[in-house]
Amino acid sequence: MLLAYKVALASPRIRAAGIEATEFPALADAMDVWAVPRIVVNGVPQWDGAVPERVFLDRILAPAFE
Amino acid sequence: MKNADTLRFMPIFRADEEPRVRELLEALERPVELLVAHGPEETPLPGARDVDFGAETERIVEELAALSDRVTYRVETEPEGFERYPAIAVRPDGVDVGIRYYGLPWGYELGSLILGVVEAGKRDSTLRPESVERLSALEQDLSIDVFVTPT
Repeated sequence: MLLAYKVALASPRIRAAGIEATEFPALADAMDVWAVPRIVVNGVPQWDGAVPERVFLDRILAPAFE
Repeated sequence: MKNADTLRFMPIFRADEEPRVRELLEALERPVELLVAHGPEETPLPGARDVDFGAETERIVEELAALSDRVTYRVETEPEGFERYPAIAVRPDGVDVGIRYYGLPWGYELGSLILGVVEAGKRDSTLRPESVERLSALEQDLSIDVFVTPT
């Protein structure tokens, strides 16, 4: 969550939200949340689990350059 | 006693945590505003039914803001730019930079939120320079949602 916040602070094009999954079960279901943290980019589930900064950037920027 | 009544008298920060949080917040180089957004809430899971998520969120933010002169908070009902409630926006210099926390920040997530406030209070990103450079080349909008659970 902190890395997501950091990239949102560093780029005006990025917004980041932490979402408490148990409090929003319908949304968590729709995003197939089984393990946390689950990272969803532009409404599409991407991966689960904490990753290092470089990997985080590789992954969030990948769909942007497709 | 209901959960909600028990929670009302529980301090947010333990006696040994409070000085650490104060110390973290001393690193703020600019003011950070926390905007608490109230609105219609989803039906929570059984067992959590009698917790007032909105009221608890507000209490946490109030206690956090009390630990630093540079952290302020205000409360609004269904402000623009929020998708669900309760929610918190972390606003450096009172400006919306797209940072939200949806739900009640319990336990570990409260720690993440505090570190988010600390980062928002810095004038320069603590990301690596090469990361900042890569982000500056971004040509489309990205919306990152991180689903967490209170552990």
